[in-house]
Amino acid sequence: MVFQRGQKVKVYQPSTDESWRPYMDRFVGLHGIITDPDTTINDPDALMEVSLDKKGTHRLPQDCLRLIDD
Amino acid sequence: MPNTQCPVTESVHFIEKSIRIGSFPHPHTRRMAEEIHSLLEDIAWGRAGDDHLPAIRQRVQALLDDPVFAGGPNPGETLDHMLKAHAEVFQSHIETHNCSAGVCEWLTPAPCQTACPAGIDVPTYLSLISMGRDAEAIDVIRQDNPFPWVCGLVCTRPCEFMCVRGRMDTPISIKYIKAFAAERTISQGTYRNPEKEADKGKKICVIGAGPGGLSAAYYLALKGYSVHVIEALPMAGGMIMVGIPRYRLPREVIDREVAMLEDLGVTFSFNTRFGTDINLDALKSQGYDAFFFAIGAHTAYTLGIAGESDFPQIIDAIDLLRQVTLGERRIPGKQVVVVGGGNVAIDAARTCLRLGCPDVTIAYRRTRHEMPADEEEVEQAEEEGVRFSFLTIPERVLGADNQVTGLQCIQAQLVEQPGSNRMSPVPVLGSEHVLPADVVISAIGQKVDASCMAELTNLNWTRRGTIDVNMVTMETSIPGIFSAGDDVTGPATVIEAIGGGKRAAEAIHRYLTGIPQPQMPPVPVRRGREACAEMSASAKTLLKRPAIGMLNLDRRRTTFQQVELSYTEAAVREEASRCLRCDICRRCGQCVAVCRDKMGIGALALGYLDFDHPTQTDLLLTEERCIACGACAANCPTGAIRIEDRGDERLLILCGTILSRQKLVFCHSCGKAIGSAKYLDFIRDRVQSINSSIEPTIRCEACSRKATARFNVDALPV
Repeated sequence: MVFQRGQKVKVYQPSTDESWRPYMDRFVGLHGIITDPDTTINDPDALMEVSLDKKGTHRLPQDCLRLIDD
Repeated sequence: MPNTQCPVTESVHFIEKSIRIGSFPHPHTRRMAEEIHSLLEDIAWGRAGDDHLPAIRQRVQALLDDPVFAGGPNPGETLDHMLKAHAEVFQSHIETHNCSAGVCEWLTPAPCQTACPAGIDVPTYLSLISMGRDAEAIDVIRQDNPFPWVCGLVCTRPCEFMCVRGRMDTPISIKYIKAFAAERTISQGTYRNPEKEADKGKKICVIGAGPGGLSAAYYLALKGYSVHVIEALPMAGGMIMVGIPRYRLPREVIDREVAMLEDLGVTFSFNTRFGTDINLDALKSQGYDAFFFAIGAHTAYTLGIAGESDFPQIIDAIDLLRQVTLGERRIPGKQVVVVGGGNVAIDAARTCLRLGCPDVTIAYRRTRHEMPADEEEVEQAEEEGVRFSFLTIPERVLGADNQVTGLQCIQAQLVEQPGSNRMSPVPVLGSEHVLPADVVISAIGQKVDASCMAELTNLNWTRRGTIDVNMVTMETSIPGIFSAGDDVTGPATVIEAIGGGKRAAEAIHRYLTGIPQPQMPPVPVRRGREACAEMSASAKTLLKRPAIGMLNLDRRRTTFQQVELSYTEAAVREEASRCLRCDICRRCGQCVAVCRDKMGIGALALGYLDFDHPTQTDLLLTEERCIACGACAANCPTGAIRIEDRGDERLLILCGTILSRQKLVFCHSCGKAIGSAKYLDFIRDRVQSINSSIEPTIRCEACSRKATARFNVDALPV
């Protein structure tokens, strides 16, 4: 999946990536918008900057994100 | 804790209920309870001061000691327990004007503020700018971000992506408005630093003068610490100075904002590379109490293709941009091929054009659709004459006699790989071709230069080659050493680095004063609650986001002048006033629900309320359908929507937008306003079945009763 700026996503599961922190568990189920994808090489391993509805902007691994229909 | 998860709101509800059900039977205890209720409400509404908590505790203690409750239930006990168990939450509400649970209506930040990694109070500064109070707006911004002008030009603006107005038509142009206000304020000499706290007698060393390091230095200096910054480059700014071309961010912008840090007492040592010119032991011997590393990610990845290291004309984009910033003006070549599809590739290509390269091509292995660079940047590059070669995979650098002659490439096609939902470029056999080139620029990403940190053997690193930190406090694995910015996140955004530096400054302060560190990222702090400027619904609807002016194309191709110009003052004021003021309207939808479901009117078409499924918003519909009953205003928990009588009119106003304006009908007997004609029609329709004889004279309720009742209390026979 190539994420692009402005796409709506859902944090649908906790990530197994080392960058996933315990406080992020409460982000599961939240919706948000990709605000800064990897702007260099579309690296599938890169962390995505996501603005979550009511919960701020965070860098999250891609394996916890899923695109949602508008 | 029940229901709301906020002890402040919970205690307000508790005392309200206790008063209502008669738990305070004696007048003096009821008065005491009402006083406690009033003080608690002050806390929940951001009006409390230092004296509030002691005053509440004193009254609660008085309730506990009151003999009237002896042997029976005492509501004071519950309140006392809440105050003791959640003392820090009550204190935090008072000090920060912030409800971390987002429950206290007035203290919950708007979506734009929540989205900002630095937590800037966007609605407050937009409303100040809409009124022409630019300097005050910059004061508000600089409480959370020391670089409003820089961010006004290059921020990736997560706030605009979350802007609620974007669900209605287009988001507020927050970035450009901020740039205008910062420029105007600096120009007028009203750009100022906040008040510094008293000197704490402690020294902090910041390594790296990029946005993360400078942000930490700013907040530490404001807290009264002595801050010294060491920087490998000959000037401050880090990646924003040497990685962002001057046509996007003029150097003067950075210099002016960095000078404000020097005014705060922050000192700099330039041309000092950590790990080479100075090491940690040497710094420790100078008496620093804590260290903050923000060394960025300045080392480029190599292409990994044959011939790459054989020619001096293979350069990396970051190095090119750095050299140009430091004064290099010679053209790198006449036929330039830039490999990559990100923002840095675009920046390198556009920089080459400005240096005078006649032929610049970007080679990217996927299609334009997959290109990770910002769409606007790609469009601007195309306008300026940069050419694109999509689905092009570089294979080998060709050349002779120490001179590059071309880049051998192979055509790619995108195919879906098994087990992956990502289209991957696969070479097409026999499609080899040569892109003529005398310079090849690689722009496929940067990484952290870990070699300079080699002496910090206890420092943990992530598998991505970045410094491993606690993302809440930015603490590294070594006590007393903190880090933020690109060296933690990998190449990321300016505003993230600024937010990280700010969090680190708070954590360093706590580390040095022995205060426990937070466990969750901070919730942004509301900096004010500006009154809403009034405007008609049609004006609010018809105002459109203005386009930004651009430098003419010839100058864009030939000079490094700023490409994106500024809005006019009138455009800025109008654009700022398009804000829907989500700091006041929480979008709970109670107004819409009561109007549609309880009253059966459906006069509020506020389709922007829902994040996931916005529907059409029509602010003009209210004027047609509203009966000015006031049910929406009565049910609004924040006072965002209100109904007001002015002269002979009744107005319905949502955050300053006049949704409905209707002529009032007055009582023919006493002259009191009794509602709009539509409202009276609505009432007549409802009561027609029980009272079919509608009298022609319009009277208010009291006059009507007087006129029709057989008796009234005044005339009752004794």
